[in-house]
Amino acid sequence: MPDRPTQRTLTTSRPVDEAVRWLIRVRAYFLKEVREIRRQPLLLISLVAGPLLVLVLFGAGFVNSNPVLRTALILPDDLPAGVRAQIISLVGLNFKLVDHVYTPDEARAALTHGDLDVVQIVPDDVFGKLQRGENPTILVYSNAINPLVEGWIQYLAYVQVNEINKALLTEQTRLAQQQAHTIGVRIAVGITRLTDLEREVSRAEQEAIRQELRTLRTLIIQFRDALPPENLFAGRGDDIEQLRIRADEAIRSLDEVDAILASGDLERGLAELRDSREALMLLDQQIAIFVSIAPETIVSPVQQRYQNIRTESIGQASGAYPAVVYYAPGVLALLVQHTAVSLGALALVRERVMGAFELFRVSPASMVQLLIGKYLGYTVFIAVASAALTAAMHLLGVPLQGSWSLFALLLLLLTIASLGVGFLISAIAGSDSQAIQFAMISLLLSIFFSGFFISRDSFAAWIEPVSALIPMSHGVAGFQDLMLRGITPGPEVWIDLGIIAIITFGMVTFLTQRQFRRA
Amino acid sequence: MTSTRANVIESQNVSLMFGENAGVFDQTYTVPEGTILGLIGPSGCGKTTTVRLALGLYRPHKGTIRVFGANPATFRSDHQVRIGYIPQQFVLYPNLSVTENAEFLASLYGMRRHQIRRRLDELLDFVDLAGARNRLGRQLSGGMQRRLMLVGALMHDPDLIFADEPTAGIDPVLRRRFWDYFRTLRDQGRTLLITTQIVSEAMYCDYVAVMRQGRLLAIDTPQNLKRRALGGEIIHLTLANPANLAKAVGALRRYPHVKDVRYLPESDRELYVTVDDAGDWIPEVLNLLENPDGPNIVVESAEELALTFDDVFIRIIRQWEDQPVDQTADAMMERDLYGQHSARSSHTAHPDDVAPRR
Repeated sequence: MPDRPTQRTLTTSRPVDEAVRWLIRVRAYFLKEVREIRRQPLLLISLVAGPLLVLVLFGAGFVNSNPVLRTALILPDDLPAGVRAQIISLVGLNFKLVDHVYTPDEARAALTHGDLDVVQIVPDDVFGKLQRGENPTILVYSNAINPLVEGWIQYLAYVQVNEINKALLTEQTRLAQQQAHTIGVRIAVGITRLTDLEREVSRAEQEAIRQELRTLRTLIIQFRDALPPENLFAGRGDDIEQLRIRADEAIRSLDEVDAILASGDLERGLAELRDSREALMLLDQQIAIFVSIAPETIVSPVQQRYQNIRTESIGQASGAYPAVVYYAPGVLALLVQHTAVSLGALALVRERVMGAFELFRVSPASMVQLLIGKYLGYTVFIAVASAALTAAMHLLGVPLQGSWSLFALLLLLLTIASLGVGFLISAIAGSDSQAIQFAMISLLLSIFFSGFFISRDSFAAWIEPVSALIPMSHGVAGFQDLMLRGITPGPEVWIDLGIIAIITFGMVTFLTQRQFRRA
Repeated sequence: MTSTRANVIESQNVSLMFGENAGVFDQTYTVPEGTILGLIGPSGCGKTTTVRLALGLYRPHKGTIRVFGANPATFRSDHQVRIGYIPQQFVLYPNLSVTENAEFLASLYGMRRHQIRRRLDELLDFVDLAGARNRLGRQLSGGMQRRLMLVGALMHDPDLIFADEPTAGIDPVLRRRFWDYFRTLRDQGRTLLITTQIVSEAMYCDYVAVMRQGRLLAIDTPQNLKRRALGGEIIHLTLANPANLAKAVGALRRYPHVKDVRYLPESDRELYVTVDDAGDWIPEVLNLLENPDGPNIVVESAEELALTFDDVFIRIIRQWEDQPVDQTADAMMERDLYGQHSARSSHTAHPDDVAPRR
């Protein structure tokens, strides 16, 4: 049986002793947490290996962020073979064309039963409608239930129709240019004939010229009708823009010449003959310009050239990172937040439910000492897990382009802010299962609103405060800046995380002290 | 309770209600320094609440309670380091070893490493846990866990120890050892307040408080409680000849120091004779009955009836239940047959010197 110690050292009131005792109590909680976690090596392994494995699987298996859309394309029989091949090629860029040939009714039934995702029906007589100034419509049907997939279908169909339009117009322009080549020779002959008419020509010659000019008129009409829609030339400069008007003028003047020739009074129609010759000359000049321009340039005057400026600095063909690298900072932020929230969520509720609060309250230890000790213990654990995960990510090729010290600081701030959220859950929850439920809700919120998978810009402005309240939102942005861009995260990242950390610590202290008094 | 020793705990008319009929009511008691007070009563009778009030975990709605002369609800750290507490359930950590659990608790009291090491070695030897010092909490048996809780409560060398049902769920041998520990601690000058549902453990206490429905029915030394319950001590007489039974009863009832004489059911030659002190009065009773000039009855045997504390406890409860509540408490107060020790607990309202609070 031990004797009673004679000297009492736990009640000396020297400030230094009191400060030492304060630190000893904080250390007690800290060591307790570290030792408890240390006894669960599987926890550490699963926390590091789990996310890493998910990341590796994701990197290996990820192909494309666009959905794969099984599509039936129904084309009219009258479509020229070249255009047909071109449309199939264009549609196949964004949609996965099925081999089976469907009628419109069969395709609709397959859509309803989920055998197809998209059905596209190209109308009959596309070129005829284009020439008549009508707008032929490609019908796109889907049976999507996923709003994101529906958005993709609409967007891809829009892009595809633009490309088809471009292809059709380019083809039409090419055909018009071929015709223009043919009538260019005839116009030159026509001009010569009109010059001949201004001199003395026999009646028989007049009749021959009249037939030639009539043929020319017919060719010009055909050429005019073969031209692409008027609006395609808008803004392309007078030479091209007025091609149709010049053709109309030429046709009209040839009509007048025909009338003069029919009357046989050439003396009276000399002025009209000269006007007609000038009209043909103008048309000839504009046709020469028209045929000299590539049809693609007429249809798509503005081109785009994309360059990621990162390619200059890193000397690689593609500037963007592979998906596995791009998502790695988000996975790190997710690991830090979820681990901190889970540990924090169980930290207080477990002690409260098992009755340890009663022991603590009987002792001279304060709630602030408990919180600081636990925060420290969990921070050390998360730091070890994060370091291991970062090192493993490095082996996978995930860079850290920015400052190591800022990276460590951001990690620390994210950890403290996330622990605050976890401890807040713990202070509110009445049982372990409730705490786990709340932690899962916080995980769900983070996945949707933190910018991990869906950009924060995709949401309405009123959602922004929700995103801002999630530590991971700032962690994802900050880690991406530091690791992938090599730049210092903006002040809002540090300020928001700091505010979350301070407010949650204050709330947890207030709530827990109240519970502590009622233990 | 009054004593020449200083009182470590003084409770005056303390009530704490958790609803209409739950809680503790009008508790008045004192615990002298260097004694063991056992709180005995069935589950839910308010033992833990009484402990929690003294620890400052609850604040009374009525009355005052002082521990070391201070209000427990406003304890400073210099009060807290003088108190050790063993709660009802095992609240230490299953993933920490025996040493780590004890170190953790000691550190909460600000003990330094060298102090902890020295004290831990002594205490682990004291409770026979030295061989299990590296074993994890989850690997300990129920008895070892209770002993570890005791070590945790003693690490900082408290003057006052509260133990809430420390022997619940452990075997009789280990229970006995626990009470040996407690008595050793008492002998070293510590004060202990121990709750238990095991009535027989009352005999290990210096004072016993019997509780029921939040009330202290009686508080006294075990011996005095026994006397109070039975109205004295009982001599178990066995006569040689059953034919003398009526004559013996008549003689005894006429004798002024005999308080009561009762037949034993299913026996025609045995009697229970109630006197103040069985040890003192057995020779007198024998002389009376065997007097050749008097009844001249041959007594085959005469011995003090050894009643268990369970019987005593049941009698005290019955006495309380048989009387109106107010009368029971008042009667006990007035009777105060056994000198210096008293208890009072009733529904009667008492003036409060503090505002009701929680």
